[in-house]
Amino acid sequence: MTKLNSSGAKVTSTAGLEAKPISNSFLPWVANNGILIFTALLIVGSALFVDGFASLQNITDVFHRAAPIGIVAAGMTFVVISGNYLDLSVVAQVASSAVIFIAVSNIYGLPVAMIACFVCAVMYSLVNGLAVGYFKANAVIVTLSTTYIGLGLLRFFSGGSIFFGPEDGPIRAFGTGKIGPVPYSAIVLILVTVLLSILLTRTNFGFLVRSFGVNEAATRLGGTNTGMVIIGAFFVTSMAAMVAGWVLASFSNTAVSANGEGYEFQALAAIIVGGTSVFGGKGSVLRTLLGVVFVSVLTNVLVILNISFGYQQVALGILIVIAVSVDAVSRKVGKQ
Amino acid sequence: MSQSPSIQISKGGDNFLSRARLVLARRTEGRGTALLIALLVFVSLSQPLVFTAYPVTLGRIALVGLVALGLTAVILMGELDLSVASTLAVSGVIMALIPNLWLGITVALGVGLVIGVVNAFFVAVVGINSFIATLGTLFSLRGLAFVLSNEEPVRISNVDAGIAFGTPLIGPITPRILIFVLAFIAIQVFVSRVKAGREFFAVGGNRQAAFDAGIPVRRRIFTGFMISGFVASLAGVMNTLERTSADPRAGQTVLLASFAAAIIGGNYLKGGRGSIVGTLIGATSLGLLQVALTLSGVQVPVQNIFIGLILLVAVTSDPASVRVVLGSIKSARQGASKARSRETEKSVTDR
Repeated sequence: MTKLNSSGAKVTSTAGLEAKPISNSFLPWVANNGILIFTALLIVGSALFVDGFASLQNITDVFHRAAPIGIVAAGMTFVVISGNYLDLSVVAQVASSAVIFIAVSNIYGLPVAMIACFVCAVMYSLVNGLAVGYFKANAVIVTLSTTYIGLGLLRFFSGGSIFFGPEDGPIRAFGTGKIGPVPYSAIVLILVTVLLSILLTRTNFGFLVRSFGVNEAATRLGGTNTGMVIIGAFFVTSMAAMVAGWVLASFSNTAVSANGEGYEFQALAAIIVGGTSVFGGKGSVLRTLLGVVFVSVLTNVLVILNISFGYQQVALGILIVIAVSVDAVSRKVGKQ
Repeated sequence: MSQSPSIQISKGGDNFLSRARLVLARRTEGRGTALLIALLVFVSLSQPLVFTAYPVTLGRIALVGLVALGLTAVILMGELDLSVASTLAVSGVIMALIPNLWLGITVALGVGLVIGVVNAFFVAVVGINSFIATLGTLFSLRGLAFVLSNEEPVRISNVDAGIAFGTPLIGPITPRILIFVLAFIAIQVFVSRVKAGREFFAVGGNRQAAFDAGIPVRRRIFTGFMISGFVASLAGVMNTLERTSADPRAGQTVLLASFAAAIIGGNYLKGGRGSIVGTLIGATSLGLLQVALTLSGVQVPVQNIFIGLILLVAVTSDPASVRVVLGSIKSARQGASKARSRETEKSVTDR
């Protein structure tokens, strides 16, 4: 098993380390459906007990903050489901996309800027996908190195300066516009989620991504070009990160190479809390959306309660570890 | 090594060249050595100041190398410890917060051990993949460092000790370099001469076989993560002493460099192959590169481009996986797709 299933089986192959079954079906059930209850509890609880949470302004704020993270998370779900843990380089991708979007559109106009962002995203996904898909390199290490390469290049070319968009351009109009209480960015989030959900559940490519996550060897022996599937998964992530960069840049109409810091972490938290398994094969984009709502509401409540950034990070880190632990233990229980 | 007749049955065994080939084929430090030689040539031509200012260079190598040494212990077992960067920051902050110097150092090192135990618990007992588990602790501990330090650097109370720590003992040998050398010898002896250390290779090579052979796999994983946590906190303590203040953001540049050092040194990420000497070679080359770039006035984010590229090439150019890739391409694809894959491969390795 270790030999064949090089990416996904590392955990299942911890031979002899299986835990005793805790209860027959409670944990798997929590791992599958717990997030719905927890999200509902969190929202109801904070609406009742946290002052200023239930205001219209605050809910718009939550949407605003959730949109770019949610878009990144929706795309990254593909990499996670394919059993490649995560794409750390979304930080660099969001920042690159935001900076290129503003900087190029200032000089050459919006369409050229979008094409430049697209080219940049394709390059990220090609390097990540080739190294992981064809060279069987570890996705965490590969994307760690592309993160630093990308951020370094961005810093080198942008000089670390802040780019401002035009005061009354379409970017600003998009960033501040809303339909009723719902900002445009939230609509983009919904659209991306629906689109990627269809891609994952209704198309051949989505099926291959999921089957790769379940059993890489079987997928390969079935005649699939598995390298291309991995490149595809990274491509979807890069596209999502690109759109997230645009949305993020349009909020403040500015872009800087520090944009998108911490997104990889929050997106991963949302994906895992939503119930997508880091062991690959199991999960959905809609679940990720639910996870994004949970994580965004949680951070929003922490901000309202005036809890410092450090505690927020601690809370998110513990949340991730707990969610993965529940998944891991429920898998062992389910096997028996 | 020349005294192992059972392996050298092949009739070319007495030939010097083939014996050298055998030794070379067993070693894993090939790529690290190549990088080191290339860098030595390049640096001595373009930035000879690196050798003139050798105390600085040695200090940098010691910082990158120490964290990489601890990582190697974990990588040998096929696991990974991403949390070292935050362990470094947290233990530094804790040390600076405690007024008594020696008590602070002891507590900080103890915290490193505890972090290792926590990581190992999630990996070995709960069964989470070490990449995800230590990513979680990486961010949690970074947050903890911010919380403890109120998001600003903490000065240590005993500044004299810090100054004493930075002064050389003999020649260019500062306490930091001495500690690095001692740590290198200790870990080298541990993984090559001590039974528990030798078993790391078995656990990394084939965990099921190691378990069946009676090796306490779970306990070895705990040992490995405790080594990496302890060594990372040692690096944090030394950093804090040398700068006489603890920065909660410390360690972010070390993370990439120490990973690159361990992996370019030939430590196979899936475990079972690698060497501490390789890590030393990798750390030496990356330390040289960082100092040379700093002396040339290159900013840290831009330096990371080079280190990131080295890490990317290191992780994709593992001899075994390249062989697998070539083999699978040969057998699975024909015609145009074959040519295309070769091209793409070339373009990646050429970077």
